[in-house]
Formats: sequence, C-alpha cells, structure tokens
Amino acid sequence: MSETWQDNIQMIRDSARAIVPADRSLDRIRKARFHGAGYSREVMAQATELGWPMMWLTEENGGFGMGMREVCALMEELGAGLVPEPILSAMMAGALLQENLPEPATTGDAVIVTAWQDRSGSLEWHGGAAGSRLAGTKVYVSGAAGADLFAVPTACGVAVIHRDTAGLAIETQETLDGGYMGTLRFDDVAADFVPCGHVEAVIGKATLAHAAYLLGLSDAAFAITLDYLRIREQFGRPIGSFQSLQHRATEMKLQLELTRAAIEATARRIDTGAGAIERQQGVARCHLRAGSLAMLVAREAIQMHGAMGITDEADIGLYVRKAMTEANLFGAPTQQRRRLAEFLTENAA
Amino acid sequence: MKDVRDYNAMSDGDFRAMVRDFVETEYPDIRRYSLSRLHWDEVKPWYRKLSERGWLCPTWPVEHGGMGLTAGKHLILIEEFERFGAARVNDIGPVMLGPLLLKYGTEAQKAYFLPKILSGEHIWAQGYSEPGAGSDLAAVRCEAVLDGDEWVINGQKTWTTLGMDANWIFILARTDKTVKKQAGISFLLVPMDAPGVTLRPILNLELEAEFCEVFFDDVRVPADHIVGEVNGGWTAAKALLGHERVFIGAPRLSASALARLERIARRKDVWQDPVFRDSFVALRCDVADLSDLFETYVDKLRGGHEIGPDVAMLKIFQSELYQRISELTMEVAGEEAGLRHAPDGDTRTHAAAVYLSARPTTIFGGSTEVMRNMLATAVLNLPRG
Repeated sequence: MSETWQDNIQMIRDSARAIVPADRSLDRIRKARFHGAGYSREVMAQATELGWPMMWLTEENGGFGMGMREVCALMEELGAGLVPEPILSAMMAGALLQENLPEPATTGDAVIVTAWQDRSGSLEWHGGAAGSRLAGTKVYVSGAAGADLFAVPTACGVAVIHRDTAGLAIETQETLDGGYMGTLRFDDVAADFVPCGHVEAVIGKATLAHAAYLLGLSDAAFAITLDYLRIREQFGRPIGSFQSLQHRATEMKLQLELTRAAIEATARRIDTGAGAIERQQGVARCHLRAGSLAMLVAREAIQMHGAMGITDEADIGLYVRKAMTEANLFGAPTQQRRRLAEFLTENAA
Repeated sequence: MKDVRDYNAMSDGDFRAMVRDFVETEYPDIRRYSLSRLHWDEVKPWYRKLSERGWLCPTWPVEHGGMGLTAGKHLILIEEFERFGAARVNDIGPVMLGPLLLKYGTEAQKAYFLPKILSGEHIWAQGYSEPGAGSDLAAVRCEAVLDGDEWVINGQKTWTTLGMDANWIFILARTDKTVKKQAGISFLLVPMDAPGVTLRPILNLELEAEFCEVFFDDVRVPADHIVGEVNGGWTAAKALLGHERVFIGAPRLSASALARLERIARRKDVWQDPVFRDSFVALRCDVADLSDLFETYVDKLRGGHEIGPDVAMLKIFQSELYQRISELTMEVAGEEAGLRHAPDGDTRTHAAAVYLSARPTTIFGGSTEVMRNMLATAVLNLPRG
C-alpha cells in the first residue's frame, strides 16, 4: 500500500464492506450480543485477513504503517456498523509490539487485545509490573472475554501474556451493548517485557481512533433518526415538518460536522508531524466532542423516535446502548476537560 | 389490619415515624430500589400489605377506603417509601381510574369497581396510545360500536404499561367517525379475559417486558361499561392526563436520582471535586424548587380543582430534570457507565439504569414537544403553528 492516503482511505472503506454490510443491516450485531464473548472470533479472523490489526505495524514489520487518517476512516465505518469485535485493541497491540507481535495474532488464529488502563477515571498505564514480573491490575479491557492473548503495557515494558497463564485472573462484567469489559489481575506472573518508548503515543492515537468510532456511530444513528422524522406522521404531517424538531436535528448535524472536522484535522496534523502537545490537545478535544456527540445523538434519537425509541426491537436502541457503553472509554468528557485544563497550566508556566 | 386513624391530625414527625416503622417491618422479601417496574407476581405481597393496612390509595377520600391525606402528609409517605426503596405497585387503579370514577363514575360503578381496586382483585391497565395515535392521542382509531346492549370493540392499543399483569383495561375508543376527532371518543372499561383480547409484550431498552400491545378482535362488553357520556370520553381522558402529569411531575424520581448521583460521585471519588459540586448544587436546587411547584398542584387536586394545561410545566421540568441528573450520572460513572448490571451488585450505584429509566419520561404522558406546544397556545395564548 504505497498509494496516497486518499487511495488508502477509499480501499479501506471498500474493504470494510466485508464486515459492515453496505445496507447497514444490523442482523449480525443483534445476534452477536449477549452470546459467548459478545463478538465473533470468525469476524475477528476475517478482520485480521484484511490486515486491520496490522494497520499500525510498520511495513518492515509486516504491517501497513497506516496513518491516522486511514485508521480513522476505518473506525468510522466500524462505528457506523456497530462492529463489536475488539479491532482497535488488537491494532494497539500491533502498534506497541511491532516485530514482537505474536505470529498467531497476525494470522487470525489468536485474538490479541491490549490491557493498558490502570484504574477508573484515569488514563494512566504505567502500573501492572513490579520488578520484571506482572503484578497488579488492568481495568476496562474491551474484548477480554474472547481474547487469547493480552498485550500489557507497563513501566517495565510491554508484556504479552496468554489468558491461561497461572497467576492471571480475568473477571468480566457484562456491558449494555451485549459484550463484556474485563479486569485483569496479575498475581506475580513471570513475563518477558519488550521495551517500548511510544506507549503514550499509541494510547493517544487509539483515543483519536475511538473518537472516530463514536463519530461513525453517531452519524449512522442520526441518519436513521432523520429517516424516521421523514416517515412518522402525527397530526396529519411528518413529524420532521415540526420546527422544534427541525432545529434540534440541525443542532445534531452541526455537532456531527464539528466532530468530523476536528477529527480529520487532528488526524492530518498527527500524520504530518505535529508535536506532542499539539497531538495530545487535539486528541483530547476530539474525544471530548465525540463522546458528547454520541450521547447527544443517543438521547435525541430516543426522544424523536418516541415510544418506538425505547423498545429493544427498534435498531436505534442498539446505537443508544453502544453509545452508553463506549462514550466514556478512553476518557469521559469530564476527564478530557481536566486533561485540557492541565495544558492551560503548562502553557502559563 | 386496617388503620383508621385521622392521619392529618397527627404531627408530621409522628406520621413519618409511623410510616417508616410500617415499611421497615412490613415490606416483603422483594426487590428494593428497582428503577424498572416489578411485575405483579413479585409485587403482589406489597400491594396486599398496603391494601390490608388501608394505605393503597393515600389520596382517595376516607369514605371510599382512602387515607384522605393532605399534600404534606402524602409527601411524607412518598418520601419514606422512597427512602426505603419500596417498589411501585401496579397503581393504575389507585392513581388513575379510582380518582376518575370518583369524579365521573356512576354510583353503581363506584360501588362495584372501587372496592376491587382496594383489595387487589382488579389490576388495571391504561389503553390510550395506538400505533398511529401517540402524541396525537385524539387520533385513536380503535373502534367501539353499540350492538344491542353491548359494545363491540375492534382495534389496537400499544405502550400499555404492565398490561400483562392487568385483568382490566380502560380504553379510549372511537364511537363516532363523523365528527371532530376529539368529539367522537368514549371511555370504556374492558375485562382482559373477554374473548378477543390478545396481548403481545414489547421488550424495552432495559430488555424488560414492561409494556405490551393489546389487540381487540370483536370484543364484547356490556353497554354500561362506559364512564361518562357516549362520545364524551375526551373530557375524562384529559382529566386523567392532568392527574398523570401531576403524578409524573412528582419530585420523587429526581430526588432519588440525585441520591444515586451522590452515591456514584462518592464511589468515583469526585464528591469533593468543586466542578462536580457546582453542577450538583444547581441540580439540588432544581429538585427543591420542583418540590415546591409540585405541592401547588397537589393542593389543587386535593381541593377538587381542575388541573389546567399549565400542569405541562411541572411535567416538562421534572422529566427534563430527571434526565439532566441521569446524564451527569453517566458522565460521573466513567467507564462503569457502560455496565449492564450494577457494579459490585449494588443496584443503587447503577448509572445506566437511571439513564434508561429517565428516557421515557419526556415521551409518555405527553411528549415534551407536545407539552411545549400546548403551553405556548393554551397558556401563553400564542397563535397556533
């Protein structure tokens, strides 16, 4: 893939059709939830064949060395299709491990996810190791229920560990979208650590990619809601002809385009060599807006669907539950604002 | 054992202590602090306890088996039940139909139906909305035709809360298609076991079957199963909607959501955070002001006054406040916002439950959008769009 990023994006969007149906049918998504791990290993293998987990592997390490623009385009497609497979988490593992990414994770024989977060309400990732052994906890690991391998970034480097390793306890909690979040507890587990100087950068890139997933989700939920406004009639008119709903629909559109513009610009800046502070601020700003957007669209979509909006049989509910599940991952809006406020202080000093 | 004291003569403190003692000693072994509705199988023992004590219908007059409470005493009762987390019973009979029959029912209807609500023999459901008649409720198409001394009913109702638990349903039926839509509606009482009545439960966003569709296929009920005049049902329906809006406007949902927000904020260690406190205090004032507004409407009800279209303000403010609290709750809960069940099994710290539970309140009982249109025209006298 040595074409321009525009060509890459077109290819990626086309290839996404293999997993996200062009007609946006959610039959598979509906069936996958609340069963097994909440996602399909077959689809994960298919995603691996398409090379998605290797997007951030450099070309010399057998990957594609894709930039943020390409990754965000993919994530937007996955969000629009509510894809539950932990593709972003696998992508992070590739970015962290590079040539050390285990072979089965590149062939689709194993699912690898990244367990980076130390605790709730914080983007800290240095914990989890003592000396040269894994000890401690990693929380809110998406896809943990069906994963074979975990990439675990710590202050001592990145460890790769199999789920059956003695001393590793995995607890899972059901999420609203029908999947699981996992907590990993390490009780003094021997591990090999790969040195990695770019964990912070990978988490930043993943945060932006996650914002793009939220954008795709919001865009699709908004489109469904607009269709409903056109079709549903009360008082002898389509409800979309009522001005108060029109104004609120335009507000959603405005927020969507702000989010899209912010994500595209931040992705471009990262791809064209922006400095660390500019990157970090851009990422926080994008995720702040995308998280808020997803929740705005979720609550307006329910309200505009009326009682249909609070039924499980209407597809809009799948978007709502996904938004509720995802919006606060990689940092809730409060946390992003706190992060941005830290930069204010840094700039003044 | 039926309690027949004059509650209003008691001091607030004594009354509160009595209520607290009752709920703490008599509440059965069923769920507490549930935001989703309990079904009849589960909540029945609590309904029975309230019924035996004579506390099922706090607002009904004493001579009809109620407690005849003043607004202040009623609030204390609600507060104590809320504090304990007592489940809401199937209250369409006590809250909706009872007061309606007291106002519009015949003596025979009062004598027959009221005691059966009080005893729990009749559990009622409300059949108002239809697929094509939601916000535009007067567009109901479910039809009733008089055939000799029976009404023959055909059509469909939907969003019938706990319809599967009910053995009676009251419906708005089209009885004249030739007049203005509001002028051709009658208010009918239908036993759910009548031949031709079928149900389909609908799963809600919390994945629970809390409401259902009800289908009527040549259902026959006696001609006297009508409340008010033939084609005079809209007046009764509107009166009930007024009651419902006062009820939805009660501060208990927002107050308990605020308590939940505090618990979650403490759990997530932001309780001392000044940014959080700024938002929390503002919401707390909103709940207090809502309570004051609510009391003015309860006083009106108690005094036998009609509830006017201005009650929409109460309903709008409470439902939107409840939602605003639930939205801050989701943000404060952080990553745990996405959990399907309460973290560590404590239902009182589950953020998603309150978020989802708050969604229908701006839709049911008159959507916020329709309420605002109504306020603009009927209260502010602005021209119709």
